[in-house]
Amino acid sequence: MDLFIEQLMNGLAIGAIYALITSGLSLIYGILRILHVAHAGIYTIGAYVGLGVYSMTGNLLFAILASMAVCSILGILVERIVYSPLLKFPPYVPLIASIALLLGIEEVMRLIAGPQIHGFPVSLPLATIRVGNISLSSALVMVYIVSIVIFFVLWIITSKTDLGLAMRAVSQDMSIASAMGINSRQIVSLTFAIGSSIAAIAGILVGIYFNQVYPTMGAVPAYKTLALIVVGGLGSVPGAILASLLLGIAETLLIGYANIPFPRDALAFVAMILVLMIRPEGLLGNIKKKI
Amino acid sequence: MSLLEVENLHIAYKEIEAVKGVSFFVSEGELVSIIGANGAGKTTILNAIMGLVPSQKGSIKYKGKDITNLPPHERAHMGIRIVPEKARLFPQLTVWENLMTGIYGIKKQISLEERLKWIYGLFPILKERETQPAVTLSGGEQQQVAIARALISDPDLVLVDEISMGLMPLLVDKVFEVLKELNEQHGKTILLVEQNALASLKISTRAYVLETGEITFSGTAEEVINDPRIHEAYLGG
Repeated sequence: MDLFIEQLMNGLAIGAIYALITSGLSLIYGILRILHVAHAGIYTIGAYVGLGVYSMTGNLLFAILASMAVCSILGILVERIVYSPLLKFPPYVPLIASIALLLGIEEVMRLIAGPQIHGFPVSLPLATIRVGNISLSSALVMVYIVSIVIFFVLWIITSKTDLGLAMRAVSQDMSIASAMGINSRQIVSLTFAIGSSIAAIAGILVGIYFNQVYPTMGAVPAYKTLALIVVGGLGSVPGAILASLLLGIAETLLIGYANIPFPRDALAFVAMILVLMIRPEGLLGNIKKKI
Repeated sequence: MSLLEVENLHIAYKEIEAVKGVSFFVSEGELVSIIGANGAGKTTILNAIMGLVPSQKGSIKYKGKDITNLPPHERAHMGIRIVPEKARLFPQLTVWENLMTGIYGIKKQISLEERLKWIYGLFPILKERETQPAVTLSGGEQQQVAIARALISDPDLVLVDEISMGLMPLLVDKVFEVLKELNEQHGKTILLVEQNALASLKISTRAYVLETGEITFSGTAEEVINDPRIHEAYLGG
């Protein structure tokens, strides 16, 4: 039983990290209707910048903030330089560009930092929590705290602020939003900045949690998170978060208990196929009604 | 001085020229109609004034300033607002949120309470529907929200696109009554684009007749109604 709970808590942490990546991806899909595969590249860069700044300064908070800033700017540039000129083409064109960008980022990181795995040794100012025989490592506790804070802030921004209202308006009808006085270009940029800075945090958390930062660390998340936003319901951030948490738990329990040699990374795609067959609008998606 | 002055406006979609050198003006306090058949280019002209479609040639002046190359949100903040064809509400936003998009970025410059009181006075049903997503409203209710969303910022020029389309006749009368009241009692300058020529001419100061992208006739509403050719073509003989 204790092992089960520990597994569950581990799964929840992995799910929370997936959720950090997918929430940004979902926001961006919602606003531009593009599959931003290169989001995982931004996440990779986020991990490297975080590691680099942390090794130089020894200050984790500063490393996180620096990484968020760098990734926000990169996210905005990717939208301006790569996606914006391609939006007039069919959706697979920006998708191809996005895949190319992800591969490019991987190669650039390999050139800069080398192909080897870097550790991310951090001494966290958090205690290991013990309840009975169950112990939760400080890294695990950090993942929980950070993701709860991020999701709360994200919820406040999207549902309680004027910026959030503008983001939702732009995602539903960009040209009418402009006619209402909303600077749509600016809102799109801000969405990329928000999504990318959350990806930066996710990159750092993964680096710390697995003590690994390497050039292709975004490869599996890139495609897995695409499956997740479909499972959650395209464009639905709460759906993406829910799907991510469920997948994290399912993957961990599968490894812990199933005696079948089923690759864990395939689970997301099995879930996607099932969702497309049974509930194509996704867990929390709604089929957009035209008016 | 005219509030709005459009000169030699050309608009093309790919190779097809939808608007071919149109010139007209709207003075402050007027209610001007552009009437014409489906596909004559009426909606395109309104969208160009709002900045939603680019023009190839010509100029649009508003309050004496050339706004031809300004982005739509800047035009909105200068006091131009649109009631789009088929309302075009944000479907997943509530009625309240739809109204709030109408004052995005200028919330502090207006007294919201007063505006809301006025809006709910015009359209009492909106108060009841406040928390409902726009997608759940009937067509008539959606049009009312669209008008309210345009008016809540207290605009200087209201562009109204095919407001009667898809509404039941009773509601058409009511909507035109509201437009007339806005123009006469609240001094709002309105540019109206309509297929329902008679209803719009009845409340207009002046009118332009648009045929396949060109203005073929203009005059006071009375002159347009009484011109035999116009009468035959647009007012059903």
